[in-house]
Amino acid sequence: MKGRNTYYFRESIILLLKTKWVGPYLLLPPMLAFMVYAESYLSAHGITGIFTLEQRTVLAIWNGSLLLTLIAGIKSCMFFSGMWESSWFRNSLALPVNRSSGFWGPYLAVLSVVSVIFILTTGAVVAALPEPGRFNIFQIIAESYIPVVWAVSMGAFLGILTTGIAGSMFFTTLLLLGFLTGLPIARLPEWIYAVIPPVGRIMTLGLQYPQGLIQAGILILHSTAVLILSRFLYSIGLKRK
Amino acid sequence: MPPYISIGGYSDPPRITYFSVEADSGELIALVGGPGSGKSNLIKSIAGIRSTGSGSIRIMGARPASLRAREKAVFIFQNSNFAPDLAVKNQLERRIALILGVPVGSIQRDVAVWCEEMELTDAAAQIPGQMNRSQLQMLSLAPLALTSPFVAVLDEPMANLSSLMVSSALEIIVSMLEKTSVLVLVQNKSPLVKRADRVVNLP
Repeated sequence: MKGRNTYYFRESIILLLKTKWVGPYLLLPPMLAFMVYAESYLSAHGITGIFTLEQRTVLAIWNGSLLLTLIAGIKSCMFFSGMWESSWFRNSLALPVNRSSGFWGPYLAVLSVVSVIFILTTGAVVAALPEPGRFNIFQIIAESYIPVVWAVSMGAFLGILTTGIAGSMFFTTLLLLGFLTGLPIARLPEWIYAVIPPVGRIMTLGLQYPQGLIQAGILILHSTAVLILSRFLYSIGLKRK
Repeated sequence: MPPYISIGGYSDPPRITYFSVEADSGELIALVGGPGSGKSNLIKSIAGIRSTGSGSIRIMGARPASLRAREKAVFIFQNSNFAPDLAVKNQLERRIALILGVPVGSIQRDVAVWCEEMELTDAAAQIPGQMNRSQLQMLSLAPLALTSPFVAVLDEPMANLSSLMVSSALEIIVSMLEKTSVLVLVQNKSPLVKRADRVVNLP
């Protein structure tokens, strides 16, 4: 029957294009401009070390990715929690829809919107800054996309597990911890690196060549694991009394 | 041919204990119970969105959570039939298109005409929070009027309706009875109790 697999995807896209959901992404350009300016300033004053021109481009791509990861994660927690906990969503499962699409539809809708924002952001950075010769730009873009996917998967996991606000706070803490563990000055116990997703290390290693492929792999595995877990929790939620 | 709706030995303690009913084509059955008697839980169990503690429920012989059952039935809940942030008319169009298995564009005119007949064109263009409960409940009946399901299960479909809309709603429900089996979960004072072919008190 027509539309039974895509119903929730379409509903979610329509919801996500409302100002309430798409508006926060407009914060991305000024935040990115501020970060690039601040890094140039700190670099010029010898606080962060000198970045080469090509490293600045790579850094700008990673800045865009990190900011988008933060916004996407928070908005994902709020969106998924609001949708899957709502009475209207539960009642809508009485429609002739594929119930599995009640999970994958909203997930893919959020991922699609965030991916479009990622393409626009990264495209703007690549267009504005010189192309880094020593680095493979496509590999950097591909790697910087992984934290964004991770954020949406974490959003789905936390959104199904708790309230939007609690999920957002947990996500922000985890992201900041992940970022801090990636800073060269961070001196933390070894076990922390096994617990905290390497969203910071993937970035700092991305400034070297070759980039942090192992960290990229770990982050992909982490995203997949939380996504599978979320889908499992969704199934349990459907059967609750 | 299995019965259109079959509920056997359904229990939802402490509210409902061992309840059974069967309905066939053209029958309007009123399941009567007071507030807190388990009506809303029962419709959720029939719709397959809540697990059934004990007993069995079948729609045209299919389990309620199965797609085969949901393709043949329309469920109208007392509340929360619409997403709060989207215009109701657009939601109705997409839902009715989904039930009929047709593109949204092909039923937009039918929805618009129905809303006009019900004098709800302006209200339907708004989001649920911007309209009163009577308008919202009347609009939630649109899938009944514009599709021809084998089974319709309605939870308090007239509880919030204004007196002007009650007769229109009754007309919609009665007009379906040629091929549909209708189960309404209502309180004793509902006008549907008088019109029902059978009245069953929830134990």
